[in-house]
Amino acid sequence: MSTASSSTPSPAARAQRAETRAQTRMGAAVADFFLPSDARLDDRTRAMAARVLGDAVGALDLAIRRHAARLLGRTGPDDVAERLLRLRDDVAERLSRPGLLPTELVEEMIARVRHDAMAEALPVAVTGPDEPSLVVRLAGVPDAVVASAASALLAAENRRQDDAAASSELPAELHHRLAWLVAAALHEMADHDPAVGRALAEATARSIAAYDEGDRLDAVATRLAIAIDARGEELPELLTDALGDRRLTLFVAVLARALGFDQTQARALVIEPDDERLWLALRAVALDRSAIARIALALADADPRRDIEAFADRLDDVVAISPQEARAALAGLTLPNDFRSAIRVLGGAAR
Amino acid sequence: MIVNHPTAVLNASFDGDGRLVAADPALAALNARAGGQVGMPMALPALATVVRLARRLGIIVSRAVSVADEEADIDMWARAQPEGAGVRLAVSGWRETPAWSPPRRAETVPADADWRWETDAALRLTLVSPEAGRRHGFDPYAMLGRPLTALFDLESEGDGLLPILAALAGRSALVDQPARLRATGAALALSASVRTDAAGGFGGFVGSARVADVAEPAAVETPEAGLPSGFSEGLDKALRTPLARIVAHADSINAEAEGPIASDYAGYAADIASAGRHLMGLVDDLVDLQAIERADFVPAQDPIDLADVARRAAGLLAVRAANADVLIERPGFADAAPATGDFRRTLQILVNLIGNAVRYSPPGTSVEIGVGHDGGQVSVTVADRGKGIAAEDQARVFEKFERIDTSEIGGSGLGLYIARRLAQAMGGDLTVESAAGQGARFTLSLPAR
Repeated sequence: MSTASSSTPSPAARAQRAETRAQTRMGAAVADFFLPSDARLDDRTRAMAARVLGDAVGALDLAIRRHAARLLGRTGPDDVAERLLRLRDDVAERLSRPGLLPTELVEEMIARVRHDAMAEALPVAVTGPDEPSLVVRLAGVPDAVVASAASALLAAENRRQDDAAASSELPAELHHRLAWLVAAALHEMADHDPAVGRALAEATARSIAAYDEGDRLDAVATRLAIAIDARGEELPELLTDALGDRRLTLFVAVLARALGFDQTQARALVIEPDDERLWLALRAVALDRSAIARIALALADADPRRDIEAFADRLDDVVAISPQEARAALAGLTLPNDFRSAIRVLGGAAR
Repeated sequence: MIVNHPTAVLNASFDGDGRLVAADPALAALNARAGGQVGMPMALPALATVVRLARRLGIIVSRAVSVADEEADIDMWARAQPEGAGVRLAVSGWRETPAWSPPRRAETVPADADWRWETDAALRLTLVSPEAGRRHGFDPYAMLGRPLTALFDLESEGDGLLPILAALAGRSALVDQPARLRATGAALALSASVRTDAAGGFGGFVGSARVADVAEPAAVETPEAGLPSGFSEGLDKALRTPLARIVAHADSINAEAEGPIASDYAGYAADIASAGRHLMGLVDDLVDLQAIERADFVPAQDPIDLADVARRAAGLLAVRAANADVLIERPGFADAAPATGDFRRTLQILVNLIGNAVRYSPPGTSVEIGVGHDGGQVSVTVADRGKGIAAEDQARVFEKFERIDTSEIGGSGLGLYIARRLAQAMGGDLTVESAAGQGARFTLSLPAR
């Protein structure tokens, strides 16, 4: 049950609540006013991120609630299970209040939405008459490791079309944290009933155990990139063909593999509209002028925020950077993600 | 008047600073109309961008571009290739569309689709909805990477043609290709839009499948079929009033009624007004369409004089014809062609026919209107000296939403469809005789009185 109480709040309490709400809103409006326009979330990204979050929470809510209700039905009085199933409160709405969701989770949602929007908008590039697209070709090569990894990527992208099997596609750690938050919200809605709490705990642990991070599209693309193991001279073609086949995830995975970055880091370089580090990364793997230009043009066609003319102004400077210099400039990015976050935390705090 | 060049490839070359060196005549003329010339960068911004990017990035740049030319937009595929110090531009698929054509059919899955599929350029499946597996009982994942024909057994239509081949050849959308699912034999109707690559080539299908209704024959046209009967009233109310307001405001901005504004903005306002007028015309057409497609539609049976109606229609279009430097030769006042029909509807048909004729007439020519008698029918013929309609397109001009190579502003592709339906409802007919390059003769016949 929600927090609705039987007694009506006093006029003073209502005035207090109204003032708090007005202050919160004004604070948010002021913060919004000072946001630089290129940092502001566009409406489409905002709506898509909310939907992705809602789907992830909804899937967890359903799984945890159902299993917990089964456990309660087995051990306790039936009406408790019934009550848990019948809760009408919106878990996603409860968790969307500011400060509840981990920043990393929201970052992941936004990055994924941006990545997917770009992937969807990438122009297709046909490599030759009647030639199958890159991943279809790879799925038919004699090397069984590459072929099965490519088939797995086709299947993973296909699975994404399936609403019925929607999974959060979150990294395991974020999935676990979100699962416990959903359980906590359900527990609160069930008025912290201890029996419900125990059932929710068991159901959540079960849901977490069943989650396989390896099924995520990112992970599947990474396995394909590792299986292909492209060497220097093969990289430019593989990268441009991956974009031409509209497989942005594979493009990111190949780049990450070649540079020794993790997938999240490589994705960040690719989805930022004006990240200098992407050009450094392409130079670090020794791509030449025309390969870099082709990649920049394809990405600009897929993302209206990109300024291809401004890129053209910088192209000569980018090409003048040697691969060694580029690698040195990006050395920090090859450190593990957690290590880099820790470095950022220390950098942000006073000594 | 511009001609279409759907299959030709037009070339132009540019020096190292992006200035035009030479261009094929049609391209040079288009550039000149936009204020460009040899020795200057391309005056058409979309083409100039393609050329500039190819030069600056040093790679081939291809993309679909749309350029404005007087009252029309021209869609084309542009491909710019660095060559020596300069750039060579090749333009193909040149297709003129009215500036305010209704938006092209969106590349989305039809609302009644049951599941989706996609292929690459080699027709290998890259997506088969998991939903298909649940619905029909096969493994959709096993189909990925396999040819389209491994999933579907494509069936030809009555004329022995496979719609999918036509879609491939014309790079046009595939609509209701009959097929069977090989795994189960289930009858399906496949629809798909074409994904094109940057150079306009076939890049794959984005398709959907609908389980075909074998039991039900095509629905008989009843008043309930199609749009609900209250639709046109609602459309009228919901759209006409706000559109009229938009047009009026845009016109007053364009006229700088509230004081001077930058000419760009005045131009945008004129565009808004013109688009609004186009939409109002579309509302009118849809309301007409709704009316005449009802089974109980009966036009009035008045005694009318076809020659008189034709003179009035010609009078209504005199100003437009004068602006286009076209002479309308209307029937003389001595001519009479007594007929039975609905005066207002007949006027509507003739305004449509004469309006089209004026639009397609080259300047300095005339549109001839003549009346005739043939047995129980009287007829009026509207003939122009425009580019005509090829034999294979003549049936198409009377179909819903069909447009053969138009350059008019506005127009929904419904006018001739509505005109013929009206003529037939009045016991007459509307026919066309034409050959490409020789003008068109439309003949409206009605029962003689």
